[in-house]
Amino acid sequence: MGKPNSKTGRPGPSSTKGNDGLLVRMEDIDKWFGKVCALRGVDLEVKEGEILGLVGDNGAGKSTLIKILSGFHPADKGEIYFEGKRVHIRSPKDAKKLGIETVYQEQALAPHVSIARNIFMGREPSRFLGFMNRKMMDRESLNTLLNIGLSLPDSEAVVETLSGGQRQGVAIARVIYFKAKLVILDEPTIALSVKESRQVMEFITQLKAEGISVVFITHNLYHAFQIAERFVILAHGEKVADVGRDETSIDHLSQFIISGRDSNDLKK
Amino acid sequence: MKENPQKKMKKSLMASLIRMRSLNVFFIFLILFLVFWFLSPGHRFASRENLDVFLAFGAEFNIIALAVGMLMISGEFDLSVGSILVFCSFTFLKLFDSGVHIVLAAILTLGIGTLIGLGHGYITVKTGIPSFITTLGAMMFWRGVTLFWSQGFQKPFESAEFPAFNSAFTGTVAGIVPVQLLWFIGITLVIAFIMHYHKYGNRIFATGDNKLAAKAMGINTDRVKMACFAVVGLICSLSAILQIVRVGTFSSRAGDGWELKAIAASVVGGTALTGGIGSIVGIFWGALIISVIENGLVVMRIPYAWTFTVFGVVIVSSVIISNIIEQRRIEFGTR
Repeated sequence: MGKPNSKTGRPGPSSTKGNDGLLVRMEDIDKWFGKVCALRGVDLEVKEGEILGLVGDNGAGKSTLIKILSGFHPADKGEIYFEGKRVHIRSPKDAKKLGIETVYQEQALAPHVSIARNIFMGREPSRFLGFMNRKMMDRESLNTLLNIGLSLPDSEAVVETLSGGQRQGVAIARVIYFKAKLVILDEPTIALSVKESRQVMEFITQLKAEGISVVFITHNLYHAFQIAERFVILAHGEKVADVGRDETSIDHLSQFIISGRDSNDLKK
Repeated sequence: MKENPQKKMKKSLMASLIRMRSLNVFFIFLILFLVFWFLSPGHRFASRENLDVFLAFGAEFNIIALAVGMLMISGEFDLSVGSILVFCSFTFLKLFDSGVHIVLAAILTLGIGTLIGLGHGYITVKTGIPSFITTLGAMMFWRGVTLFWSQGFQKPFESAEFPAFNSAFTGTVAGIVPVQLLWFIGITLVIAFIMHYHKYGNRIFATGDNKLAAKAMGINTDRVKMACFAVVGLICSLSAILQIVRVGTFSSRAGDGWELKAIAASVVGGTALTGGIGSIVGIFWGALIISVIENGLVVMRIPYAWTFTVFGVVIVSSVIISNIIEQRRIEFGTR
């Protein structure tokens, strides 16, 4: 049991075989930093409209894997399929074009810039000669925030004045507005209070309601377990488990994380 | 949510006033202006002649401060503005003396200034060394090249045969308004509209505030920074032309010490050293504050050495004040 999908990897030239509910398939990904192997033969699949929890200890390779998918690092080996087609993601721009958006913990927002300007950063709507359509930016940002259940009075307020949960809300509103297909959240609850974390989880379920797939990176299993439908566990740069929520438990998952690659034997 | 609407409006008015950073800077300028007006012997500070000098002469520095402020918002420094200025000044003189038409010489000089700025930007973003270092080196390099090339002499610049050209850079419009003031205001408006209303301005702020976020949003932060460096180079070369046409002489000391004054003007105007924070209107008043101190102390016959002392006091105290106001601003922003 335990690993329902892990063996679908490497079926030869199967890229033409449609995507049957799969949004992303990463196959046999290797990544080296100098002589350090960060990832070795990792496969990752994300289904359409699912919330996938990517868990593992610090240094397990979660962030590296996700940075390959979002265009920050090239992979040294392996292939990526998006909606059934082979893709080459060389920059964050390429990833964005496909509809892959990443929300990083501290890198998502410019703190001294207003909410509206953050949401439209790099993709500002303009009216003539590139001058921004500020009315539209203000209106659309407040509307989108309201959609995910966040009522803020003023889109001109700078992000620095918001709480941690509200900031995550702004970053998530941005990906909803720009119609992402896959949203990668890198430790979205790491610096938040219990109450704020709960708020962020609600935003994430809102993403799913919009039909957006989510990869939720965390090492807080309790947070992951509340919303993720499937878990992929990395340890020492390798995938050690790929399980649905109903087939596992928090204890079971933490065993994987702690015992790393040997957990396969542990399971048998 | 169910707040008394009148109270809410009052609150938001207060909040938006505090949010207007540039207003504080304007008041500091106003106070200095009034002090010099009342204290200068015979109120000479506010005489026609002196205001002309203050506005015309000051504009050459002020426009550079605007460009430096814009660059600082993008998260970089430029210590080489005075040296770009003196180099462009000599380049313009040499081109003109060698028989190039004055308009073409001006266009070439502006192009060279822009390329120099672009070069500083390129070195900075491609090598990843702090712009503080790149432009510190550039400051010495261009000053040295100019000293070597000009042998350190003063040289006359005679452009009387081109009255139309001259009147675009010096003199007055309608007999009252110094043409340099129009340059200053015009450039302020252009940069302010770009910074606060154009999408590129938003990208400059984003780059300076959080480079990683800007990059993640697909902004080419290297290009944004290089463009800001290029604008600094362009404005320095424009200032060089304004200056040499007004003075009629090339001096190898032109622009000496302007680099720190330009940074001071930006900081007094509310620009953060770390980038991402600032307003062009604030820098406009910040530049005028620096010019008004320089001019006012001269008019009051206070020894030149004191200028630096006063600069020091004004810079530090205005940054302290604006930090306090910034804190209030955040408090107001939360609710």
